[in-house]
Parts: sequence; C-alpha cells; structure tokens
Amino acid sequence: MAGARLLRGAVGAAGFLVLGEVVIRFGLQGLGTPPPSVILYEAARMPADPDFLAGVGATLTNWALGLLIATAVAVPLGVLLGALAPLERAIRPVLEFMRPIPSVAIIPLAILLIPADELMKVSVIVYASIWPILINTLYGMHDVDPQAKESLRSFGFGDLAVLARVSLPSAAPFVATGIRIAAGVALVLAVSAELIAGGVAGIGVYVNVAGSGNRMDLMLAATFWAGIIGVIANVVLLAGERRLFHWHRVRTGVAES
Amino acid sequence: MTRKLRCNAIALGVAVALALTGCSGSDKPADSSADSKGLEKTTIKVGALPVPDAVSLYLANEKGFFKEEGLTVNPVIITGGAAALPQIESGALDISMTNYVSTFLAVSTGKKIKLIADCYQAGPNTFNIMVPGDSPLKTVADLKGKTVLVNNLHNISTLAVATQLKVAGLKETDVKFAEKPLPEMGAAIKSGQGEAGLLTEPFITATQSASGFRKLADTMTGQMENFPIAGWMATEEWSSKYPKTLAAFQRAISKAQQLASSDRKQIETMLPKYTKIDAKTASVITLGTYPSELNADRLQKVADLMLEYGYLKGAIDVKSVIAAPSSS
Repeated sequence: MAGARLLRGAVGAAGFLVLGEVVIRFGLQGLGTPPPSVILYEAARMPADPDFLAGVGATLTNWALGLLIATAVAVPLGVLLGALAPLERAIRPVLEFMRPIPSVAIIPLAILLIPADELMKVSVIVYASIWPILINTLYGMHDVDPQAKESLRSFGFGDLAVLARVSLPSAAPFVATGIRIAAGVALVLAVSAELIAGGVAGIGVYVNVAGSGNRMDLMLAATFWAGIIGVIANVVLLAGERRLFHWHRVRTGVAES
Repeated sequence: MTRKLRCNAIALGVAVALALTGCSGSDKPADSSADSKGLEKTTIKVGALPVPDAVSLYLANEKGFFKEEGLTVNPVIITGGAAALPQIESGALDISMTNYVSTFLAVSTGKKIKLIADCYQAGPNTFNIMVPGDSPLKTVADLKGKTVLVNNLHNISTLAVATQLKVAGLKETDVKFAEKPLPEMGAAIKSGQGEAGLLTEPFITATQSASGFRKLADTMTGQMENFPIAGWMATEEWSSKYPKTLAAFQRAISKAQQLASSDRKQIETMLPKYTKIDAKTASVITLGTYPSELNADRLQKVADLMLEYGYLKGAIDVKSVIAAPSSS
C-alpha cells in the first residue's frame, strides 16, 4: 500500500523532471535556463561545497532559534487568550490586522531597527511564525469538549486543574499543527531575509552570490535544497505529531493522508 | 548514584567556570596588542557585493594588509549599495561598499554618510547596452519607445543609458525602463520583457557567448568615460568616532587597490574565491580600474552629471562627503 503510493510519487516526480528537461532543452534553449539534469547534478555536488554547508548551517540555526522562540511566546499567549474570553475579544482585532501583513515586507524595517544581523533575521522569523502557532492554539482552546470541562468542575476541580487535565491535552494536537505550519513559514522567512539583507552565510546568501556570478544553475540547485529541507522538516514534524497524538486522529477521524 | 551525578555536575561546573575564565584571560593579550596600534575598534564588519568591483577587500584580507594594520575585517555579503545604507545606519555594518550615484542620492536626502575610500572605476565595455543578436535595433536612437531593462531604476544604469540617449538626440523619458535583476536580464530580454538591457560583467561576456547577444552601445564613453562607480562608505558618526580604525582601513584598502590595478592575475585568482565566477570566466571578462585614492575632483563629475540629468535637485560639493585619509 505504502510502497505503491511511493512508486506513484516517484513516477510523478520523474515525469515532471523529464518534461522539464525536454521543454528546456528543446523549447527554451538559449534563455540561459539550466535543465533539471544540470540543476540536480549541481545539487548533488553541493554537500561537498563548504560555502554551501556553512550557508545551510546558518539558515537552519536561525530557523530553529526563530521557531523555538515563536513557540515559547505563542503557545502560552494562545492558552491565556483562549482561557480568558474577554481578553481574547479585546486583542483579536489587533491579531487579525497583524496576521495578514506579508512578513517579507517587514524585513527592510527590521534591517533599520535591529543592528545585529542574526538577531534581525531571527526576529523576522519569530514574527512570521508566531501567527500560525497562536491562531492554532486559540482554535485548540476553543475546541475543548465543554462536557469534559463541566464534569471535571462538578467533581470540584479548580480552573487550573481543568486547564491542565482537559484543555491543554485537548489543544495540544492543534498546537503541534500550528508549529508544523510555522516551520514552513519560518524557512521561507529565513531564506527571504538572507536574500534581501545578505549576510555572512546562508542559503539565501549563497543564492545571491551565485546570481551575481551568473550561475543560474547554482541558484536553482540551492533553491532545490531549500525545498528539500522544507519537505524533511514537514515529514519529521508530521511523524512526531502522529506518534504523540494518535488518539486525536482517531477521535477526530482525520483520514490518513 | 545521585551522589556520583552531583559530583559530575560539580566537576562540569568547575570545568565550565575554568573554561570561561580561560577565555576571558586569553582575550586580554589580543586587546592589548590592538591597543598598541591605537585603533578604537579592531574588528569590523564590511559589506560588499560578490562582484569584481569589491576585489580589494578580499585581496587586503588574503594578503594580510588589514592584519598589518591590526584590523580584523569580516566581509558581509550585501545586496546593493542602497540596501546597505540602513545596515550602516543601524550599525549592522561598520563600512560598506556603495555606488556613487546611490550615495549622492542619499546625501541629497540628508543622510549623514561619508565616502572613505575609492573602489571601482568603469573602463570601456564594462556597462554595455546589450540586445539579442537578431534584434532589429541598430543604434541607440532605435531605442525610442522601447523598454530597457536595468538592475535598479533611477540609479547608475538609467543615468548611463540617459547619457547615450542624449547623444542620439533622445531624452530619458523617450524609453521605458523596467527593473530586472542582472542574472535574469538576458532571459527576460529573450522572452520579450524588454528590447535591451544594461549589463555588467560577468553578464556581458555570458550573454555574448551563450545567447549570442551583441553590444548596442558602451555607456562608459563620452560624458561617462572613466566614470567612478563604487566606493566604501561609513556613517559620519562612525567616521568621527573611529578615526584611527578608519585610517587603518584606508591604508590597507589603498594598498590592495594598487595591487589590483597593477596585476590583473591577482584579481583573476581572487574572483573564484569570493564570487561564483569561475577561473575561466575570470580570465576573459572585461574589468574596470581600481583607483587607490579618493579624488574629490573625479567624484565631482558624478554629482555634476546627476544634477545635469535631474537626479539631484541641487548641487553637491563632493569634498564635504569625503572623509579624507588622516595624516596620522
């Protein structure tokens, strides 16, 4: 079952690459666009390039740090707002206004305000990753089964006990989903900040240097790796979610995808 | 068991404490050696584009010219002179490469920045208007009503094209300018997003050899012959706060500029180390020149031309923007 799915995926990816190869080799020749075979060849060589490895290290460090800080800020905030309805109503308009602001657009402002380059990048990542985690935590807190809460209260448990025994475990799968979505957003912002602001090392910095040297193949190969890293992060976090919250998938009947 | 664990923890704590004191102890000699040179700041971050223009920064590092001055220079990749301005203002960078047109535009809006060293001057065929080999465009006059791609609007590229248009009897408003990053410009012209583009190296060589592009005009002729392109800048505040560090940087860079201008081989071996330009390309691309002195008269030409073409509202006395090398 899983094998067949993997095979179909592989066939799809291969077909896509072959199509790209044919279109570029015979249709867009002379545009300076390297075909997938060249990009994949360069991508395969990249793990031996110390510049690129330093770049991946720098990008992933900012990414992890930003995601960690965003989680540490957004989860308690989401729980607090979710537990205190009047507070949430007061803050919600601000949230709804700030959430859709394209985070990439605040990078120039961040450059001007935050002198330390790494701190600037991490701050931008934190800003962008807070929203998915916060909103998902809020949804999770709203989704708590009111009967479970009431029955616990009727047995004489206080608010804190209800929070710890019912609300938090019930909201946890939503929080995890929020973190997984934020991980993708954070990677986009980590690379975007490097593309816009430059820096000493980073996947985005590598793309900039490759571009200035007219190496479209290296630009695209580095971009390819950014995509791969994003996929790996998603797979790892999804597997973690499934292990931790298997009961949640059973309860809500989310189909295996 | 727990006692053993606690012992380990204590041992670890002592080790960390020792390591920390060891670190601070080893910092001291470094500081005092810096003091002997009298520099206010011994480690600086310098922004540079990964292009041939910036070669002296990397040469000075590799040849130890900065070290001789007691200076540790950490190069940082920037994405453009205009983009680097907020980075020197915020203190993210101590010094940055900039192009003179961006600098004077910024000065005209009241930015307190100083030019501290020269970097790059255009040579023949370093800023060319390029068109596809089969383009019907034969002369600059043919550009009337056409779209010209430039890497930055209202900057050195558009100014360069404007001076050529003037010779052909046209105005800047007779063509349409569109912004496109240099790496994508060749493909953008091929796909019809513009009829011509202002390209620099290594893109001139690349589009010529790979896509059969030809030169419509060399913009670094006439009014822009030997045009000063790029320099090193710092904020006025930084320049007055760290005069000795500034002077040390100026001496080292000047030495590297002399080396670059006297020995092309030095540039060719350096390029593959800090750019993705390979050795083969490095040996064939056209390079400008690397002046070792920041000359106000030469730079005044840039400000005057910007005034003539309406890039500046009022005249700028370039002398006031230069932080001259101190005699000390």
